[in-house]
Amino acid sequence: MSLGTLAGAVAPQAASLVDPGALLATGSAVDGLQTAARVLAEGIGKGAVYFTIAVGLTLVFGLMGVLNFAHGAVAMVGAYLGGLVLVLVVGANTGSLATILVFFVALALVFAVTTAAGSAMEVTLIRPIYDRTPTYQILLTFGVSLIIEELARIVLTLRGIQPDPQWQAPMATAPDALLGRTELLGVGVRRLYLFEVAIGALVAVAVWAFLTKTLYGLYIRAGSEDTEMVQALGVDVRRAFTVVFGVGTGLAAVGGVLLMWDPIWGPSVLLSIDVLLYAFVVVIIGGLGSFTGTLVAAGIVGIADSVTTWLFTTGIVTFPGLSEVTIFLLLVVMLIIRPQGLYGVEEVGGH
Amino acid sequence: MIVGFLLYPLVYEALLATPVEPLAEAFLPAVTFMIVVLYMGLFAMSFDFISGYTGYLSFGHAAFFGTGGYFVVLAANGQIPGIPGGTPFMFTLLLGAVLAALLALVIGSVSFRLTGVYFAMITLGFAQVIYELIRSWGYVSTNPTEGATVSGDALAVGVPYVDALSLDVGRLTGESVENLLGLGIDLSATVVSYYALGIVVVICYFAMQRIVHSPFGRVMIAIRENEERARAVGYATYRFKLAAFAISGFFGAIAGGIFAAYSRSVAPDGTFYFLVTADALITTIVGGFGTLAGPVYGTLFNQGLEDVLSTESGGIATLLREGLPASVLEADLFGVSLELFVNTAVDGRAPLYLGIVFVLFVLYVPNGILGTLRDRLGGTVGKRLPDHLRRYFR
Repeated sequence: MSLGTLAGAVAPQAASLVDPGALLATGSAVDGLQTAARVLAEGIGKGAVYFTIAVGLTLVFGLMGVLNFAHGAVAMVGAYLGGLVLVLVVGANTGSLATILVFFVALALVFAVTTAAGSAMEVTLIRPIYDRTPTYQILLTFGVSLIIEELARIVLTLRGIQPDPQWQAPMATAPDALLGRTELLGVGVRRLYLFEVAIGALVAVAVWAFLTKTLYGLYIRAGSEDTEMVQALGVDVRRAFTVVFGVGTGLAAVGGVLLMWDPIWGPSVLLSIDVLLYAFVVVIIGGLGSFTGTLVAAGIVGIADSVTTWLFTTGIVTFPGLSEVTIFLLLVVMLIIRPQGLYGVEEVGGH
Repeated sequence: MIVGFLLYPLVYEALLATPVEPLAEAFLPAVTFMIVVLYMGLFAMSFDFISGYTGYLSFGHAAFFGTGGYFVVLAANGQIPGIPGGTPFMFTLLLGAVLAALLALVIGSVSFRLTGVYFAMITLGFAQVIYELIRSWGYVSTNPTEGATVSGDALAVGVPYVDALSLDVGRLTGESVENLLGLGIDLSATVVSYYALGIVVVICYFAMQRIVHSPFGRVMIAIRENEERARAVGYATYRFKLAAFAISGFFGAIAGGIFAAYSRSVAPDGTFYFLVTADALITTIVGGFGTLAGPVYGTLFNQGLEDVLSTESGGIATLLREGLPASVLEADLFGVSLELFVNTAVDGRAPLYLGIVFVLFVLYVPNGILGTLRDRLGGTVGKRLPDHLRRYFR
């Protein structure tokens, strides 16, 4: 029995479980190929999000061997800041194009602010403890994430925005052009996913250019091979660390801004831990410190996520945690069969 | 330390009856919080046992805490096959701990092929998988995301089948003792739970202490300091690490078990979740990494802070709200009244201040409270302190 006929047989009984959009697609498209294509497309959309939230983490690890536990907290702040800009600027009758324009302005603003903050954090907090075992850098950044989270909670409470339920205001600013589905090669794909893929591609190209065309990119690539050699060749590794940590932090926030419109995530303080865990899974499957690995792993995780979500929504599997379990199982299996990840170099970053 | 724990409830009660009552209520942790110190302290100790002594950061340690907790609750509800509903708590506690030790052997057997960050991540991965499974496992209760509750009687700590030596523990259901041994001292249900659970924790502490100071513990430290050299000397380090991990899982599950017995319920977010491990990690760092008693001090600090900053038993927020004049409370602070600021920035905000303290400790006091004290005194506190005191008070 093909996957398609299975879906066709089960979908009608599971009608109450399925969101209207997905039902429309599975109901009309009994053709298995089309369902598969749709699930694949959504997987790529999710992969783009995973890539955006994970790439900063891998950059920082690649050069410095620091596993930045504050990554998720910065993404959370990014989501709120981006949302704030949009809520302040976008009104009820702002056009879709203008909204998207504002989105990019918010993206650039948030990136600039968090990059500066990240650099400052590197200089003041992380620099003094490079000579200790890597555990201490994990611990320190974890403490920083705790502080950021609690500060966010305080500000949100003081401003009358409750921390735990998702903040709906920025969600409402999502332009009409990104809602609904669009026909692409005969497959109905959510427009938001297309947008996310576009942003993901943009980030990927930007990071790729940063890695291959700039001096700091060269340092990162060399540093992930052999930090001591780079230092011996006269590179000011300290400054490189500051720049890279700043950029990595900025990229975390960019990931957060992207999540602000995504109904699966949305701004909330809990975003911090979720983003962190998913980013870890992606960078470890791809190989800590490897840009290509992160890209490929994000795709794998995204597709695994969308396939398992589809299995659940169509009622083939009635286990609600399937998608999360699958993703963490991927992590465990990868660590068992190939600890250094898909593209990772063994003993990267001095571990 | 043990003497301090023994006397604390009595001192606390006595202070509440004196004129310093409002201050004592604000700044001293209530007995209910001290019970949290007991089981979280034990959990942090078990975390420190593996992470502090062998140097392998066990980021999924909550898996063992959760296993112990869930096993006790399910066993009390008669949901575990082969274990009838009325089995004494002490047996189910031990069985849960053994189960956790077996789980640790399984997780450890694959995880210990990795080191450093990778070890931390794979243990985290395992714990998250279990967390997600438990959250959706309908067998536990009708609403598995909320967890399960003990439906029957209170659970008793003590010698099974000897009623006179068993005491019921529980947040609301415990047993109170009136006129203890004819001394005229009445103990409330909370205080009884405190002492009963305290006995379990003390026994576990001495057991771990014994292991750490045995030749086995020496090998654990050797692994932490230089694993290659330990292997070169001829120790099968893999087996030692695995055994240490299983022991650590065993005690972690006991901590989870007594937590479940006291609170009479378990929820996935309070047991298996990543943040439970994080709690243990923070308190271990504050108390002293690689010192078995350190995590207890860290937990004491953590819970003390939480108690002071919460309103549950009268903390700073209550003190400020009642002590400050109304004009000050309504004063404007960047468009927010001071009262609102106190309510949001002080009340229940322990994680913020704990986070700051934690970062400062990582930066400036990497050995933690106890570790630093030992460095200063040049030996364990108990051994060296008398000498130092004698020098100053001759």
